[in-house]
Amino acid sequence: MRPRFFLAEAVRSIRSNMALALAATVTVLIAIFVLGAFIPSFLYVQSAVDRQKEKIDVSVYISDSAEVDQVNALQAQISGLEEQGVVREFTYVSKDDALAAMRERLDDPTILEELPSNPFPASFEVKLTDPENADEVIVAVEEQPALDPDEGIGFAGDTADRLLSVAQFIQWSGLALILILTVAAVLLIGNTIRLSIFARRREVEVMKLVGATNWFIRWPFVIEGIICGLVGALLSVGLLLAVKLAVVDRLVDDASSQLTEEQTTSIGFVTLAVILLAAGAALGALGSGLTLRRFLRV
Amino acid sequence: MSTDAPPESTTQRRADTGSARRARDSQNGQSKRESRQNQLRPGDGPMVVFDDVTKQYGSDAVAIRDLSLSIESGEFVFLVGPSGSGKSTFIKLLIKEVSPSKGGLWVGGRDLNRMRRSKVPYLRRAIGCVFQDYKLLTSRTVFENVAYALQVTGESPSSIRRKVPEMLSLVGLSEKGSRYPGELSGGEQQRVSIARAFVNQPRLLIADEPTGNLDPETSIGIMQLLYRINRTGTTVIMATHDRELVDKMQMRVIELGDGVLVRDARNARYGRPQRAVPTGDEAGSAEDAS
Repeated sequence: MRPRFFLAEAVRSIRSNMALALAATVTVLIAIFVLGAFIPSFLYVQSAVDRQKEKIDVSVYISDSAEVDQVNALQAQISGLEEQGVVREFTYVSKDDALAAMRERLDDPTILEELPSNPFPASFEVKLTDPENADEVIVAVEEQPALDPDEGIGFAGDTADRLLSVAQFIQWSGLALILILTVAAVLLIGNTIRLSIFARRREVEVMKLVGATNWFIRWPFVIEGIICGLVGALLSVGLLLAVKLAVVDRLVDDASSQLTEEQTTSIGFVTLAVILLAAGAALGALGSGLTLRRFLRV
Repeated sequence: MSTDAPPESTTQRRADTGSARRARDSQNGQSKRESRQNQLRPGDGPMVVFDDVTKQYGSDAVAIRDLSLSIESGEFVFLVGPSGSGKSTFIKLLIKEVSPSKGGLWVGGRDLNRMRRSKVPYLRRAIGCVFQDYKLLTSRTVFENVAYALQVTGESPSSIRRKVPEMLSLVGLSEKGSRYPGELSGGEQQRVSIARAFVNQPRLLIADEPTGNLDPETSIGIMQLLYRINRTGTTVIMATHDRELVDKMQMRVIELGDGVLVRDARNARYGRPQRAVPTGDEAGSAEDAS
């Protein structure tokens, strides 16, 4: 009987305070919408950064005059690093391969025809398990005699560092933003519900005088908060779905060559919707439950 | 001095309500513990005991000073005195809206000083309260207002559907159950408030200026209702300014002035002053002066 009674009380209170319930719902709607738009964007950027990080690799150039033994020694060295888990994989690129690759990258490959000989050194292209491991690889192969004295080791250090710091910045600022948004949402909802309770504090006072326990008074308010939170979250999920279908999906289709190629992953919409609904309900329940405490001290 | 014992008929009726209550409890399947919590059982002791109670707000505002008195089960007591004399604090102490700064206070055998905060709702269910401003839930109908006092105690919907109409007919509002408080006259609203206060069959009913906002004729109706409730064995404490009403009723009168007990006169129930401590006239003129 009790749950039904409390639910009925919550519905009654929403009906008799329609304007405030609406205000609370819209607040949740906005907060959840921003959260719902931000979470997938954040995850998308994160995943894109991760993809870029994977691409940072080290080129170990081999001197044209290197002996086969020396090249083998260098290869063994890198193999050792691979076994240690520092290097994910590495491939040998011969002088001809390097020339062919360059030819492909140039708009006008005819320039290469004018070269007297192939100037591109052979190399080991080393992919790292983690970009932070670059130094370890560089130190390990630095002293190898097979190393090309002019080219040495090719590593986009600056680019990598910058990418890493950007990635970290995105990570931290993203988390901070989510935190701020959540706190703002709780405060907004709390404030709206405080208004609603303030409007009814006389009623709460009467309930206490009749001998209602705090939870007897609190439950309907908490349920009311959950209802407002769920409805707000549901509306914002609908809105997000509309935005996704109308804007994001079309954008992905248009730019499929660039975006899908990256194989960036974000969060599934259903998962997102479930998270947002739960967040909405929790926001509503917390907002009203916490706010009510002050008014129960009659 | 021996007339404190309630008349035979009152005792009889109290026994009746007791058995009715037991029947109701078993019907609802309420735990015995809960039903006991919802009733005051002073045993043979008095319903209310003030033992040298002082209530002070802040550092210098003394509302009640060194008050000692006791009220027996089944008594009807008028609490009189000018505004600011401590009547409201007296009542707030009884329902533990405020706690004594000093001294002991027992209601229905319960030591309010040792009562935990979480038990206060149970105390209030056991005490019916009627206020000058009715304190009705304005967004609920008359029926729902009375029902709320039962819902609070966890009564089943079926017993609520049975009891509320009984109570509404007792206060003469059978036809107005679906009205909202705003649509009723002051006297009618006060009747709703009384119905709500009495629907849990409390052993103690407190009325704070119940006729304060009503015209004399309506006041008499309310007074009669409270008297009838008292006749069922319920202790009634009524704070009032209404001299005429008090004189007419010839009940025990406790008078406060500046937080101090000025007069505690017990009058016989059938119109004979038992013993005039100060005479009624003197007290009256003292009241007029203030």
